[in-house]
Amino acid sequence: MKTRRRVVAAALVAMLMVTTVAGCSSKGSSGSATGEGSAEPYRIGAIVSLSGSYAGLGTPEQKAIEMEMKRINDAGGINGRQVEVIFEDDATDPAKAQAAVARLLEQENVIAVIGATGTSQTMALRDDIDRAGVPQVSMAGGSVITAEFDKNVFQTPWPNRIVVPFTLKALKDRGLVNVAVISDTGGYGKDGHDLILKDADTAGVKIVADETFNPGDTDMTAQLTKIKAASPDVVLMWNAGKEAAIVAKNIKQLGMSVPLVGSPGNGRREFIEGAGDAAEGFRFAAGKILVPEAYGEGTPAFEVAQKFIADYSFAYGVAPDIFAGHAFDAFLVVTDALKRVEGEATPASLRDAIEATDGLVGVGGTFAYSPEDHNGLTEEELVFYRVDGATWVLDK
Amino acid sequence: MSSSELLQFLISGLQNGAVYALVGLGFTLVYASTGIINFAQGEFFMLGGMLAVAGVRMGLPLPLSILAAVLLSAGVGVAMERFALRPRRDSGALVLIIITIGASMVLKSLARHIFGPNEMALPAFTPGPPVLLLGAAIDRQVLWIWGLTIVAVVGLTLLYTKTKLGRAMRASSLSHDAARLMGIDTAGVVMISFGLAAALGALGGAAVAPLTQTAFDVGARAGLKGFAAAILGGLGNPIAAVVGGLVLGVLESLSVAFISSTYKDAISLVLLLAVLFLRPQGLLGKSGREKV
Repeated sequence: MKTRRRVVAAALVAMLMVTTVAGCSSKGSSGSATGEGSAEPYRIGAIVSLSGSYAGLGTPEQKAIEMEMKRINDAGGINGRQVEVIFEDDATDPAKAQAAVARLLEQENVIAVIGATGTSQTMALRDDIDRAGVPQVSMAGGSVITAEFDKNVFQTPWPNRIVVPFTLKALKDRGLVNVAVISDTGGYGKDGHDLILKDADTAGVKIVADETFNPGDTDMTAQLTKIKAASPDVVLMWNAGKEAAIVAKNIKQLGMSVPLVGSPGNGRREFIEGAGDAAEGFRFAAGKILVPEAYGEGTPAFEVAQKFIADYSFAYGVAPDIFAGHAFDAFLVVTDALKRVEGEATPASLRDAIEATDGLVGVGGTFAYSPEDHNGLTEEELVFYRVDGATWVLDK
Repeated sequence: MSSSELLQFLISGLQNGAVYALVGLGFTLVYASTGIINFAQGEFFMLGGMLAVAGVRMGLPLPLSILAAVLLSAGVGVAMERFALRPRRDSGALVLIIITIGASMVLKSLARHIFGPNEMALPAFTPGPPVLLLGAAIDRQVLWIWGLTIVAVVGLTLLYTKTKLGRAMRASSLSHDAARLMGIDTAGVVMISFGLAAALGALGGAAVAPLTQTAFDVGARAGLKGFAAAILGGLGNPIAAVVGGLVLGVLESLSVAFISSTYKDAISLVLLLAVLFLRPQGLLGKSGREKV
């Protein structure tokens, strides 16, 4: 039956179109009334994931940047000029991120790019960023972003190369030496996975199982059944998407009593809500933003974090998560450097000013960039958290 | 590998497979009455879960919000047929299929704007520890999913074979013109099949949400798997869609067990292609040749 075959063929083509086109691009440009002065506003591009797997990360990022942009502009801007952030949605897709950066650089003439939300999306911007010589500040935690050094690329989260050894050491200290790894196949998960395997020997732990899942998967009992058979002391999960809650629930479903440890990417309220009881006792390492008291009350870092949490909660009615914090820091890094640029700000002079950032207190830590280090954070900024009574507490 | 582990892999496969089957049933229903593939089918799966969560958040009891979610989704399915597809029904299958793709984007974007980008959790239908079977654990929600799949397939089979509406649906699928000449309201039949397909997808989405959470973007993946299930089993026959779904689910879970979790989607896709190469009409489909 010829028509039937044609229908199926057309359907297959259509399916491909759906999966590639689906994440409709929503461009939200938030301009600002240039009341003060006649000078042109500083134009900054921001590439965030507002749809796709990382939609839950990119949305608070956009909110944090919009809030800070408004605060700065209401106070008269920077050097008497307003700041305008042009947002682009990459739909958690590296190809769309690349298209977005090309648009920002060629049509919007931005002076700096904040983004992207995810590691693969961040890496997809590199060629265009280098060609234009515009500084980029990423909000993603993959190590590769600053380990594959690029003079234009900076990063605000704690990268895996700091978090993974810290986490493995914490496991070893707690006597959990037989480690089963489960990670997703996205950029962040893969980056963490490779580092875990590389650092295991140094940390003195043994990897007894190594399983993966794809972003969007809805059931991991098959992988966990294999992990269960390897009888590990602990399951170490590395991902940043919504699948984390399913892993936690599947572990409980299979009646496994081993503890589950995760990554900073799991520091989201939706994880606790989604996993319910299964989230209790879940541990992960991250910076101190979730419990700012960890900085020590009265320290400058504590003050900055407290103010951010209060402002954000007031503006949006919910406490910020770590991703809002990364975006706050990225915007802070750029605006702080803009203040320090002498003479007319160009992408090149702004890049130099960002590299000269030293002792800038953000909510994720104190940033000190150098020509060799474009992440500027150390293990000192990390603490271990535990989920207890549906909230985060410090795990001493 | 111990027998209880093997059983656990099978259960995991049947759990995913039943979900694929529920979505696949929707594809099959619409195909049977219209000859087109409805690419918005995955979005009804999403709507079912999201509307049920919205109902619970508004304070409705769980069973009522699930019922409301299923009925509302069915309403959306009917409206989509009436207002988006029917005006262009003479334009040929390809145009109609593209309209369904457009509808899926509209539904997804609307859900993104109404419900926000975050995943949401639905409470379990019957909370409690997992049921143990020969050393393998089965979540209680999975029993619900299996139960609903069985009810759906038995219900559909009875509808097709025992009722006047079912006979009208089968007649329309053989030939629209002949059915219309026999006094069957074919437009009504098509509309009902869209509504039923949407309701089935929504039921699947609501039944899975307690296990996996739901979000505005779960439709595309559910649609892809459901489509694969329907094609694997053979389009147009409810039992075939269920068999296709279960086979696909078990294949995926066995490839995790014996090969590698990294390649599970690739392996199941290759097997799907292999089956279609050998049997283009699907596992249970009738031979594609028409007798003249």
